[in-house]
Amino acid sequence: MLNTFLFVVLPYAALALFAFVTPYRYFSNRLTWSAYSTQFLERKTLYWGSNSWHYGVIPVVVAHFFGIFAPDAMQSILANRQALILLESAGLGLGLFALFGCLVLIVRRLVTPFLGPVTTAGDWILLALLLFQTATGVYMGMFLRWGSQWYLHTAVPYFHSLLLFHPQAEYMSDVPMVFKLHAAGAFLIVALLPFTKLVHLLYVPFDFLKDPPILYRWRSPKAGG
Amino acid sequence: MDARAQLVMVFHLDKCLGCHTCSISCKNIWTDRRGAEYMWWNNVETKPGVGYPKKWEDQEIFKGGWVVDGNDLRLKALGKGPTLLNMFFQPNMPKLEDYYEPFDFDYGNLYGSREENDQPVAEAFSQISGRKIDVIRGGPNWDDDLSGSQLYASNDINLEQRGIVEDYGKMFMHWVPRICNHCLNPACVASCPSRAIYKRGEDGIVLVDQNVCKGWRFCTSACPYKKVYFNWDSGKAEKCIFCFPRTETGQCNACAHSCVGRIRYVGVLLYDAERVERALLRPDDQLVEAHRDVILDPGDPAVRDAARKNGVSDQWLDAAVQSPVYALVKEFGLALPLHPEFRTLPMAYYIPSLSPVLATLGDSHELMEHGVFPSVETLRAPLSFLASLLAGGNREVVAQVLGKLIALRAFLRAKNLHQPIDPEVLKKAGLDEAAALRIYRLFTIGGYDERNVIPAQQREEQDPHARSGESGFGILKKTGRGK
Ligand code: HEM
Ligand code: SF4
Ligand code: SF4
Repeated sequence: MLNTFLFVVLPYAALALFAFVTPYRYFSNRLTWSAYSTQFLERKTLYWGSNSWHYGVIPVVVAHFFGIFAPDAMQSILANRQALILLESAGLGLGLFALFGCLVLIVRRLVTPFLGPVTTAGDWILLALLLFQTATGVYMGMFLRWGSQWYLHTAVPYFHSLLLFHPQAEYMSDVPMVFKLHAAGAFLIVALLPFTKLVHLLYVPFDFLKDPPILYRWRSPKAGG
Repeated sequence: MDARAQLVMVFHLDKCLGCHTCSISCKNIWTDRRGAEYMWWNNVETKPGVGYPKKWEDQEIFKGGWVVDGNDLRLKALGKGPTLLNMFFQPNMPKLEDYYEPFDFDYGNLYGSREENDQPVAEAFSQISGRKIDVIRGGPNWDDDLSGSQLYASNDINLEQRGIVEDYGKMFMHWVPRICNHCLNPACVASCPSRAIYKRGEDGIVLVDQNVCKGWRFCTSACPYKKVYFNWDSGKAEKCIFCFPRTETGQCNACAHSCVGRIRYVGVLLYDAERVERALLRPDDQLVEAHRDVILDPGDPAVRDAARKNGVSDQWLDAAVQSPVYALVKEFGLALPLHPEFRTLPMAYYIPSLSPVLATLGDSHELMEHGVFPSVETLRAPLSFLASLLAGGNREVVAQVLGKLIALRAFLRAKNLHQPIDPEVLKKAGLDEAAALRIYRLFTIGGYDERNVIPAQQREEQDPHARSGESGFGILKKTGRGK
């Protein structure tokens, strides 16, 4: 019952929200599409919080997706014991880094009066959820060894079954509780993404790398270029 | 030749009275909003002084503008790769303390207070945190008129001798009103990874597209004039829009329109976009000349043809001919760019101030020119100061302009007093009588239509439907963070 809710109902609800609300927000009011930086108001602790958080979490998130979209490649890399140990320790290190960053981000919002008016309920829910997510991730990295290995045999095939609209929650039924919570947390984050400032991660700019420095816009298509 | 049109403002510093009317009219129209309380798209700062935000001119702090790197220009702050790596925390961004904590007063208390022994007061509170402020430590124009000069004025990076602001016999000051310069080589545009900031092809106005801006905030430090501001509520960057809704209909900007000293001139310049980059590779002290080289003569048929090819209408070409800006910047060479060495090719120009038209104490009598005025070298505002502010350190250029201003005064003084006029006075300064009379009109009795020659946008020549429904600062939609 719980399994069905966590691994069938929740994921589809989350993916549906993500798929429909994100474009809705984009097309209805892009004026709210921002990372809502608070650096202007407080920068000393943000330096440690934001840098540790992002440099920790982005590689870890990328690795998760790598596992989903290229399981075979990941499998062959991990077959090498040295590589496995290296990746596991790197993952744990990055996780700890992110956890530290997340804690700093939370504490800084608690203790800085300036941040009161720029902190919304959404921010608290998001930060709490991300703390939970990083904490469960780090816990598994420490106490349930070789996670990157069994991730490939449990969560990855389960994700594939989700994406093929033939959900097989069985893959996830026998895993430890903390792993279940970690997976459910991920779906909550996906569900929340279109409603919070987290939308910023969908819009990482790369175009500017090849553009000429000065951008012109002409009112009339006939003139100039 | 790639001839384009640009709307440009000129400021006559001698005439500015430091009244801040311009700042208030701008604030009332554009930045009287949550998140924008601290912004002054138009501000007026006392020079010498550290300005707004404090020390904005010091690019070792904020890393704004461009630098020459071999045969190329590059942003002083961050290249493209490092931009990507610094998105999570932008190292050079100015912070609230560099401006000031915006505050208001609790006037409600004057009416609603309980009956007590003492009179109720309107206490100051922060417009950001809402908390009571016991001691206000900064505000707009905190250092106005040299107040706190040891703290502020003496830290002006343009001053050679810092002690000068404390020496009564040598002290000087004037005001510098500043808006976004709508540069030809805008560093803000180049620094934006989202490509939200753009320069309008038709009139050169630089705008932030609020829909595209994602709040990565590189522009706030890349602009060497600190004229892009971060709205702490909406999470996006904002800047002076040159009152485009007004200029598009031929009216002049709110700041210029309300200017009490009538110090501002608004008009069209034609420039050659192809010459911009080469001009900026020249050494600092040749940059004023480089600016003048980029500006094209609107009377030249070849220029007019090239401009027409770029869609510049006849109405705009006529405006370019009548432009007071062209006269002041290029024809008479009186107006100079603010800190050209930041290499953004700013399109706001300043006529340097003579005032106070006093020599430094002691040597005033020996060095009189034309019997009345002190010579350029002994004016109170040191040449080196003005040169650092307006000419990339080139004293000669500034001396030439000041020479013209003094000659003009000598000429008109003689004329008004019906004294014989020495034609050499004007000639030596590089002017003739017709020029002097034209400048005199512009400086004094010239009316609104002489000071502002702003052609309206020609909507019928363009496609009016293409842009319908576009919005500016959350006018149609709400910005902000929600609850
Ligand atoms: C992909 C590239 C990403 C970029 C360029 C980016 C950029 C940013 C920026 C500029 C901020 C504002 C920091 C400030 O206050 O100045 C921010 C905040 C934040 N980012 Fe990211 N981010 C990225 C990815 C992510 C990812 C993958 C996550 C989490 C899964 C994430 C979670 C957050 C959170 C929770 C905050 C809010 C922190 C706070 O305000 O307390 N970001 N990000
Ligand atoms: S003054 Fe600053 S904000 Fe304005 S165009 Fe130049 S670089 Fe951009
Ligand atoms: S309104 Fe005119 S005179 Fe007054 S401060 Fe502004 S620029 Fe100077």
